[in-house]
Order: sequence, then C-alpha cells, then structure tokens
Amino acid sequence: MSQGSLTLEVTNKPSELETLGERLEKFCQALDLPRKIVFQLRFAIEEVFVNIISYGFRDEKEHRIRITVNHEDGVLVMCIEDDGLPFNPLESEAPDTACPVEDRKIGGLGLHLTKHLMSELHYRRLGEKNVLTVKKNLKDD
Amino acid sequence: MEITEQKQDGIHIFRLSGNLDSNTSPDFEKKILEAIQNGSNRLVVDFEHVDYISSAGLRVLNLASKKLKRSQGKIVLCCVADYIKEVFEIAGFYLFLPIVGSLEDALQTV
Repeated sequence: MSQGSLTLEVTNKPSELETLGERLEKFCQALDLPRKIVFQLRFAIEEVFVNIISYGFRDEKEHRIRITVNHEDGVLVMCIEDDGLPFNPLESEAPDTACPVEDRKIGGLGLHLTKHLMSELHYRRLGEKNVLTVKKNLKDD
Repeated sequence: MEITEQKQDGIHIFRLSGNLDSNTSPDFEKKILEAIQNGSNRLVVDFEHVDYISSAGLRVLNLASKKLKRSQGKIVLCCVADYIKEVFEIAGFYLFLPIVGSLEDALQTV
C-alpha cells in the first residue's frame, strides 16, 4: 500500500476549515482512498478543529494549530496539536442517542461520533500543548 | 453550499448541494427554521448532492425535528449517501428522522 504524509498549519479561525477540508481531500485522493474513509477523516478533523477554536482559547490572540496526517501500511494517523486550555476529548460526556427527539440535547454529538468512526484516539498534555492522536485502520471497514 | 427551496402540494422541499459543515450549517438552520415558523409542517430534505456533513449539520436537523414534533410535523430525508447514513444511525436519528431512497418516496412518506 502507498505511503504519504501531509502537514497543515492553520490558525484558530473558522475560515481555515475550508482549507483543512480541501487539503485533506486532495491528500486522500492522491492515495486513492474510498469516499467513505475520506468522509470519516474529514469529519474527525472538523470536529476536533472546531472544538479547539470554540473552547480552547480565552484570549483574542491568533493561535497556531498543527495537523499532520501520515499513511503507512493501511493505517492513517492524524496528529493535532494546539496550545489551548488543557482538554481531553476522551473524557467528554457521551450524549444519549437513544432518547426521543423531544428530550434530546442539541449538540454534543461531534466527539462522540468521531470516537465511533475512528479506530483509536490518544490524548496527551505535553507542556503547554494538547496533543491528540487519531488513528484510522483502513482495514476495519 | 447551495440551498434551493420549493413548495409542492403543501410539502416544503429543501435541495442541498455541497458541504453541510460548521460554516455552512447556520444558513441552512436559518432557512429551515424560517420555513417552520411560516407554517411548513411537512418537510423533505434532498441529500442527493451533499458530499459531506458534520455534527453542525446534524444539530440543525435535530433542532428542526424538535420544533416540528411540537406541531405534529415531520421531516423526511432522501437520497442520502451510505457513509452519511451511517452517521445518522450512530447518532440515533433513525428514531425520529426517516431516510428514504428517492424524492418520490419522500413526498409520499412525509
């Protein structure tokens, strides 16, 4: 299977989402990945990115978010680094997905779905940085 | 994201095209809530040309379903790609948001 890597440096602005999506799609196309996998990876990146820029920073300054994607031997590994407030997405509360519509809370689904769609998630706080590693085993589907 | 709206036999049809992500969902939210507020009670959302949805898009459909529940209304989705359908399933939306194969089926179900 082919190899490849991608490094993306973006700032904490909502408009960067489009850049992220486009660069990721291009990278995945070059690897000839199935549409379903590309969708799931894009979903994961968006949820993590939006979460960081929505809740990670209390100041108005510009912050850099670094995302790397590596593909080797049928496993895609994405690493997302930010210098925001400590946040471990693995500890976020899972929403109730079995209750009727009138009792549903609006929102809270993004990280829950990301955990479902990806094979593994690891979180570390390294110094002043959140480092989230997301793995997708392409043989799972 | 392009959103076109059409009314047919009392059914409000939304045709979406492109990516329903956290930047484009607010526009869809505004339009669908406006339709509900103006009395539309039977809604069809055509996903044939939707390539991507994020949780922000799911949130809009959740919110609209919630509002329609109060007025005994209904939303039906059609022509949803399998990989997007899977996300609706994991989120448990099948409990209140029917997904059918074609626009004709949606118009009959809603």
